[in-house]
This record gives sequence, C-alpha cells and structure tokens, in this order.
Amino acid sequence: MRLEKCWFCSSTIYPGHGIQFVRNDCTVFKFCRSKCHKNFKMKRNPRKVRWTKKYRELHNKDLARDTVFEFERKRQRPERYDRNLVENTLKAMKKIDDIRVSRRERFWLNRMKVKKIKERKEDLKELEQGIDLVKAPLAFQEDSTLTIPNAKKMKVVITKPDEESHQMEE
Amino acid sequence: MRTNLKVVDNSGAKRVMCIQALKGKKGARLGDTIIASVKEAQPRGKVKKGEVVYCVVVRAAMPRGRCDGSEIKFDDNAVVLVNKQGEPIGTRVFGPVPHELRKKKLVKILTLAEHIA
Repeated sequence: MRLEKCWFCSSTIYPGHGIQFVRNDCTVFKFCRSKCHKNFKMKRNPRKVRWTKKYRELHNKDLARDTVFEFERKRQRPERYDRNLVENTLKAMKKIDDIRVSRRERFWLNRMKVKKIKERKEDLKELEQGIDLVKAPLAFQEDSTLTIPNAKKMKVVITKPDEESHQMEE
Repeated sequence: MRTNLKVVDNSGAKRVMCIQALKGKKGARLGDTIIASVKEAQPRGKVKKGEVVYCVVVRAAMPRGRCDGSEIKFDDNAVVLVNKQGEPIGTRVFGPVPHELRKKKLVKILTLAEHIA
C-alpha cells in the first residue's frame, strides 16, 4: 500500500480513492477526486489555479523548500530489513511530523505579521482623520482643553462588576 | 460489438472491429479477450484484411476498478492480437499496458510491453 500524491492539488490519495489516468506516452496521472480530474480535463495548469499546493508553493504562500521535506522523497533502493532501523524510523517519523507542522505554522505567522503592522498604521490614520465622527470640530474650537487622545498612550479603564449583587441573587 | 479498436502490436493489422466478447454479458472490458474482424491492415503483415482474429483488450477509455478501490483508465481503446492459446502473434507491443493481464495469465504480453501501468 502506498500513499500517492494527487497530480493536480498535491494532496495524499488514500487507498480506495481517486482515478488513475494513463496517457499513451506512459505518463501516469493520479487524481484524488473528481474535482482535480475535471480540472485536468479542462486543461487547466495547476500552477495557475489558486487552491492547489503547486500554486501556493510557487507564490511563497506555503513553506516549499525545507530539509523536512527531504525525508519524504521516494527512494529507489530497497533497504535490507533491520528491526532496529525500523523502530528508529518509526520514532523519527512522528518527530518529523511534529517539526513539519510547527515549521509550517511559523512560516504562516511570519507571513501574517506584515498585515498587523499595516492595520495599526491605517487605524491611527483613521483616528486622526475621522475624529469628526466622535467629537464635532466645533467642540474642539470652543473648548481648547479637549484634545485628540494619543492612541499609543490611551488607556481604557475596566470597571469590575458589583460582587455584592451576585451574592444577593444566590 | 462493432467497436473499432486500435491494434498496438506489429502483427500487421491496424484497425480491428469487435465481433464478439468472449466473456461477460455486458461486453468486454480491460483485460478481456474478444473476437474481432480485421478492418485495416498493413500490406505485408501476418494478418490480412477481413480475417477473424482473437484479441486482448490492453487499453480502454472506460475506467476499470482495481481491487484496492482505485480506478484506472487510458486514453484510447487498444488491442493486441493473440492466438487461441493467449500468445501474442506480434513480437512487439507499443504503449502502456495494465497489470490486470497478469491475473488473466497473459504474461507474454506483459514481457513485451514497454510500460506496465
């Protein structure tokens, strides 16, 4: 039993799923589901279809080149059976899985960091420009003590709910 | 019946028309043997036009289920000419061939094939 990769979307094909198409030039295409198969029949290029893994890796949305993926490469030479080797391999597989997941997450977080900084900048700008919605411009002119609060130093005071009233309810 | 099939060996025939599927009520599928009539042949070949021959279906555009649950299908419908014992008449087979033939004991065709799908 071997877990294959879908030619179109690069997801794993578990046994009992999917269609295999063999072209006359002996190239074999494996598909995980009819969605990928139909896209292939439409002659779509997976590198241009946004939801496929090939697109994501090409456009740096997902971790593409890392040593963790070297472990998954297909080996042509069969290994002589050694019980210790098998045991160590099984242990290593679990560990590598965890490492791979954590590296992927970190890559995603790094990618999303840029958004946070940008959002904060935009919010500050909106506060400056749109303060009219909160306080009328005339109010600032009349009362000079009112100032636009400095967003960086603004603090919100949280009032704790009355504990006595809760006791009464019991 | 009446299906036009491509011949992918060097027995001399080019196109063949199915007359009878030997097994199966609904018709022959990938890996089955059929009786066919040669419709088009090369001028100097082992078979001539109009001859009735036995063939084995090696490629079918209709998907065939495998015992592991997946399905396999090919680009066209192709056939290899065979004698009554199941041995190929030609000496070469072109294109991919399914390994369903192993179960049908048509091992000779598998050895001649260039790629087993």
